[in-house]
Amino acid sequence: MTTLKIKDLHVEVDGKEILKGVNAQISEGETVALLGPNGHGKSTLLNVIMGHPRYIITKGSLYLDDVDITEMTTDERARAGLFLALQNPAEVPGVINSDFLRAAVNATSEEKISTYKFYKVLDNATKELKMPFDLATRSLNEGFSGGEKKRNEILQLLLLKPKIAMLDEIDSGLDVDAINVVADSINKQKKEGRGFLVISHYARLFDLIKPTRAIVMINGRIALDGGPELIKRIDQTGYEFIKTEYGIEIEKEDANMNTVSIGSCAVKETIK
Amino acid sequence: MKKIQVLSDLIYSAANSSEDLFFEVASNKVLYIYLKDIEEVSSIHFEVGDNSNIQISVFARKSIENENLTANVGENSRIAVYYADFAIEKNILNASINLNKNNADCEWHLASLASSNDDKEIAVSIYHNHPNTHGRIDNYGVCEDNSKLLFSGVSHIKNGSHQSTSHQNAKIVVFDDGCKAIARPILKIDENDIEASHAAVVGKINDDHIFYLTSRGLTVEESKLLITLGYLKPIAKGFNEETANEIYQLIEGRL
Repeated sequence: MTTLKIKDLHVEVDGKEILKGVNAQISEGETVALLGPNGHGKSTLLNVIMGHPRYIITKGSLYLDDVDITEMTTDERARAGLFLALQNPAEVPGVINSDFLRAAVNATSEEKISTYKFYKVLDNATKELKMPFDLATRSLNEGFSGGEKKRNEILQLLLLKPKIAMLDEIDSGLDVDAINVVADSINKQKKEGRGFLVISHYARLFDLIKPTRAIVMINGRIALDGGPELIKRIDQTGYEFIKTEYGIEIEKEDANMNTVSIGSCAVKETIK
Repeated sequence: MKKIQVLSDLIYSAANSSEDLFFEVASNKVLYIYLKDIEEVSSIHFEVGDNSNIQISVFARKSIENENLTANVGENSRIAVYYADFAIEKNILNASINLNKNNADCEWHLASLASSNDDKEIAVSIYHNHPNTHGRIDNYGVCEDNSKLLFSGVSHIKNGSHQSTSHQNAKIVVFDDGCKAIARPILKIDENDIEASHAAVVGKINDDHIFYLTSRGLTVEESKLLITLGYLKPIAKGFNEETANEIYQLIEGRL
């Protein structure tokens, strides 16, 4: 059983520290809800785990079992069994979705897949996600609706079969029927033993996929690590109880921004 | 000058010859002309009659000192040009298409790969000499190593050519710091009641695109290749399967 371990992770973006000592671990077979107010580092954590070059690790490390992956490139991490379904997947003009999917399948599996077998696998996966097959023949995400992009992320997840999958707001932009389709697919994959780390602001997705654990990220650290009952509590009462019960002051988003407002004040500020 | 009357689909090789070429297509023809080994030829002209629909595909693989490609397009006729520029070292190409009669139409597609120390200057112009004429230019390029790539050209809607449409689109992906890439699509409009646009994009591959592809297990090199293929591959639809495969192999081999 593979376990992703995050040890005392400190991360900077453009010189600003976003993650300030994150400790957590996720194993195959677990479904972990990652909760927290906007701007407290949830998406940053997932991007860092996947190795996005914009995020600089200043301290701490990432392990996949006993292998230190902190210095690994993004593609090496993907081949080691990590997957990130992006909140806003890029539109890549000219790259045909099915060409990309096939290249990705070949990159992450030991044997090259034959054209016939690939199309069969692709056909089954698109049917499972109730996606029109023609999406596979169009440019990657170009002109896709928000919902189509999200389904395309899950399609990649289905084809690549990672050990641990991270989903960043996979339910945003999906209608009720589409959320059910995506949740069914996640549940099916859970049975295969895949681990999930899931960010969502809505209890609906969590009601459907039933996380085994919930972790709450506040001020760039993990403030709480507990059972799935945390999800319900936060959905009903918000994050206020973290301050009253645990004494953690929740920093406001954008607290350090807008010290100068536009208009006359900005002009005065410039003159100074 | 060598004059060629084109009566049906034609595959023409100009290997080992520098003689100017003049292709004449009569009225009421629908046909395909594929030109190869044209690197020594400095002047290629197409004279297209009325009510014809012609596809012209050109595949350049070697150095081209100076090539002038011109065409006159007749009434209700349409030419679609697919120019695959995989010339090495040098390519100076000047293409001028004249839309001389009512409803003459030209669709121009070019894909250019500049690598190592290649130096390429490609100018494509469409002249709207009559009302209700239609032109579209799509130039796509990839520039790497220490190469230079310049796309220029004019879409000129002349006085009196009302109800014409003209669009130009130039895009160059730059891979390395030593590259020099310029896209300069020019519109000259001397008439009202027309529709025209031009767009130019020159830039490096988007880092988010690379992150996205690498997050699925592709290496940076594989990701760049896929993106480049995506840029240059559409030109292959203007060629038969054999040439299309040759184009794919050339791209993969050069990158």
